[in-house]
Amino acid sequence: MSIVRANGLSVHMEQLVPSEAGSGAASGPTAVLIHGLAGDNLASWYLSLAHPLAAAGFRVIMYDLRGHGNSERPPEGYTLDDFVDDLAALLAVLDVTGPVHLLGNSFGGTVAFSYAARHPERVAAIVAVESSPPTAAWFERVARRLDAAAEHLPHDHVLARISAERGERASRRARVAREVLAATSLARDLPASRLPAEERIAAIRCPMLWLYGGCSAVVDLAPEVRRLLPDARIVTVPGQRHSILIDQPATVRDIVLSWLRRDGGVHPGPGEAAAARDGRDQPPSPAASH
Amino acid sequence: MSVDQARILAEVAEMLHAIRDDAGVDGEITMATRFQDDLEMESIDVISLAGRLQVRYGNAVNFAQFVAGLDLDSVRELRVGQLVEYIATALAGTEAGDGSADAGLGRAGLPA
Repeated sequence: MSIVRANGLSVHMEQLVPSEAGSGAASGPTAVLIHGLAGDNLASWYLSLAHPLAAAGFRVIMYDLRGHGNSERPPEGYTLDDFVDDLAALLAVLDVTGPVHLLGNSFGGTVAFSYAARHPERVAAIVAVESSPPTAAWFERVARRLDAAAEHLPHDHVLARISAERGERASRRARVAREVLAATSLARDLPASRLPAEERIAAIRCPMLWLYGGCSAVVDLAPEVRRLLPDARIVTVPGQRHSILIDQPATVRDIVLSWLRRDGGVHPGPGEAAAARDGRDQPPSPAASH
Repeated sequence: MSVDQARILAEVAEMLHAIRDDAGVDGEITMATRFQDDLEMESIDVISLAGRLQVRYGNAVNFAQFVAGLDLDSVRELRVGQLVEYIATALAGTEAGDGSADAGLGRAGLPA
């Protein structure tokens, strides 16, 4: 476990050097992978995109958000600005100065986008899975979800039902979410976040990929993303839910890597020969782009 | 178990005690110790070994490659011995100068 101090907190981070390590690891692009709220932590990224991105030549940085995983859990301080401050502080501690590729799962994508709104010159590209820019509509939805979770998850029969209907993995994540919500002001703080004006959201010009599951409620936000960010690439994978990153890591990996090569300014690294045959020009999985 | 594996097991056991803060660690950690059932580790705790392994063994041991293909469930089902064998093979490969750190998950007996 690597613990660094950033923004006054102990932050758990893990780092992968590019596969051709030893030969100028510092010169390649850097990808920062940001997980989602409550039940999530950096393991979702570590077990899905981390290794493929390192094989593609990236220095890969993952961290546990405040209150999550093995990072420090302060009782308060969970507005959007707090999360963005943490990211900026972490990158400063790690001496990451060049433009970074930011990948975010769910609320992690919102943190990525909000960082780009604050520091557009420091972001090379954004990949957001099941996510949205920091719009009022998205924060209302997140607030409702957090409220419902804070209300229902403390009841053991709710966890038992989640286990029966959605399996042990979903139940374990729900148990973690219950702990986070009980120990922090997250559910209160996040809805009170200061959000950037729409003009600042629409002004972000870096290449962007927004990836959704066709059966997730979050895909409802895709039209708003298209309205605000007409140049963004939006891909919907039929039949998938909000947990697409951990449910279908290979599908997400193929879509993300082929997009990074085509639109994200990344060229295949030498360690990536095997991945290249997956087809560089189109996502190999049945995904609808719009 | 070879001398190398015994040494690596002792080092990994020390890391596990540090990560678990001795909570949930009853008795000696052996090759047969399971992360989930014996050490009560979550997937994030298993992943947390990565940084410590990197500090101890450098880039010769590619933990991300070791867990590539596993998911949040199967990574917790690993045994300590599987990790120790992977590290031993990776270090032996480095010393032999063939540069290959791929220990072969099949030999380590990973769950499919």
